[in-house]
Amino acid sequence: MNMIEFRNVSKVYEDKTVALRNINIGIKKGEFVFLVGPSGSGKSTIIKLLIREIPVTSGSIFIAGRNVCNLKYSRVPQLRRNIGSVFQDFKLLPNKTVFENVAFALEVIGRPGYVIKLQVPQVLKLVGLEHKMKSYPHQLSAGEQQRVSIARAFVNRPPILLADEPTGNLDPVNSEGIMKLLSRINLIGTTVAMATHDRNIVNSMRRRVIELEEGEVIRDQKRGVYGS
Amino acid sequence: MIFRPKYFFGETFSGLRRNFLMFFTAISTVAITLFMVGFFLIIVYDVQAILASVKSQVEVAVYLKDNATQEFKDYLEQEIKSWEEVSEVVFVSKEQALEKFKRDNEGSEILKEIQGNPLPASFEIKLQSPEKVEQIALRFLTKDGTYIDGVDEVIYGQNYVQKLFSITAIAGSIAFLIIIMLLLAAIVLIYNTIRLSIHARRKEIEVMKLVGATNWFVRIPFLFEGFFEGVAGSSISVIMLFFMSNYLLIRGEKAIIDTLRVKELAILGSSNVILYIYAGIIVLGGLIGLLSSSFALKRYIRV
Repeated sequence: MNMIEFRNVSKVYEDKTVALRNINIGIKKGEFVFLVGPSGSGKSTIIKLLIREIPVTSGSIFIAGRNVCNLKYSRVPQLRRNIGSVFQDFKLLPNKTVFENVAFALEVIGRPGYVIKLQVPQVLKLVGLEHKMKSYPHQLSAGEQQRVSIARAFVNRPPILLADEPTGNLDPVNSEGIMKLLSRINLIGTTVAMATHDRNIVNSMRRRVIELEEGEVIRDQKRGVYGS
Repeated sequence: MIFRPKYFFGETFSGLRRNFLMFFTAISTVAITLFMVGFFLIIVYDVQAILASVKSQVEVAVYLKDNATQEFKDYLEQEIKSWEEVSEVVFVSKEQALEKFKRDNEGSEILKEIQGNPLPASFEIKLQSPEKVEQIALRFLTKDGTYIDGVDEVIYGQNYVQKLFSITAIAGSIAFLIIIMLLLAAIVLIYNTIRLSIHARRKEIEVMKLVGATNWFVRIPFLFEGFFEGVAGSSISVIMLFFMSNYLLIRGEKAIIDTLRVKELAILGSSNVILYIYAGIIVLGGLIGLLSSSFALKRYIRV
């Protein structure tokens, strides 16, 4: 069974731009998938559809076998608790420490204090920032900030991790570190989908590549490279 | 959703600490705008009370000729009493009028000048509805514009009574309009301030929604905050109003009483109404804060 499945999905925005045309994608549990293509090809739209930030225009999206398109609005938070998401701009809260930023993700879903005290240091150790728990985001490098945001996305151990251009603001060395981290998370069994247009990263990882162009899948290749 | 007071209060107050400037702005906006509303409300209430007590003192004095017979007096008293606009009729005899005059002018030179009793007997008529004073007065006139036999003169403050009534009517509706406008201005200002403070924290809301917080979970700390700002601000305005009314208005009123020589004037401090105004302002503050937060959140919560 596919962890993520798009069946004939189309997305037309309110301003009539067609972002996706009749997309069919299946991603298995534990897979690592790159979504590549130029800006405006529909990569980010796929991520936004998955976390129900925007609704589909037609077609259906299944996550773990459940159609999430007709999900009631009140069930959306539940969906998001099962999907970790990482963005190019980190989305960290500047007035909270590293520990608080990660703990925040558990607090808002109602986890008790002892779980927070246990899980936050664990996940910070996984991303290699256990010594910076009390720092504020502005005291960290961009690479470290992205690690914190990955820690926040993963602290709840979601089965799916989505990353939208996670290395977009990082230099090659930091990007490599982030990719190692995502690989580790994938190795534990997490399904990872990452949108990127970083050619070097895609080529060095040799994972499945889904290439989009003007809202259509033009290539779906196992152990692929960036450009054909 | 599990209700977790520790989290919500913690978030509310750490929110307050971190966004002190926004918090301070919101509270002072509430305090200043509601102070204006309350200030005007008290002034208007006060002026209305003064006018009402002046109005209630409007009466018709019917002076009788000295040659009026006892039958005529009895007949007139019965007649006046039968009018439904009249609440009270008092007959003041010539002797009583003189006594009262002596009391009012005790120690004055004028008393020595008086010989005999030049004062007329009279009926003092108090009215149910002071606005009808002119109609009542007209009943003592005959068709050709002279007073009926036995009546010497009818006095009801012809010159100022009509003015007084039209001024109270106009002042009442203008005051009502101004209060409504001030209130609207207060609501708009408070709403915008709270909306700005929520806008400043839109990133926080975005992150909360992203990691799967329910809408209520996002909303509650903001609602607490809005409510708290409303109540705190309006409490400050009530404290200012209290000092203002106790130290300025009441003094001013005493001065008015002394200069106008009106008796039984409604004194502000002695009234319960002002306590209702205070309580109303605090309730209003809390309500505006709560509703402003609630409406302002709508834009940011749908992510």
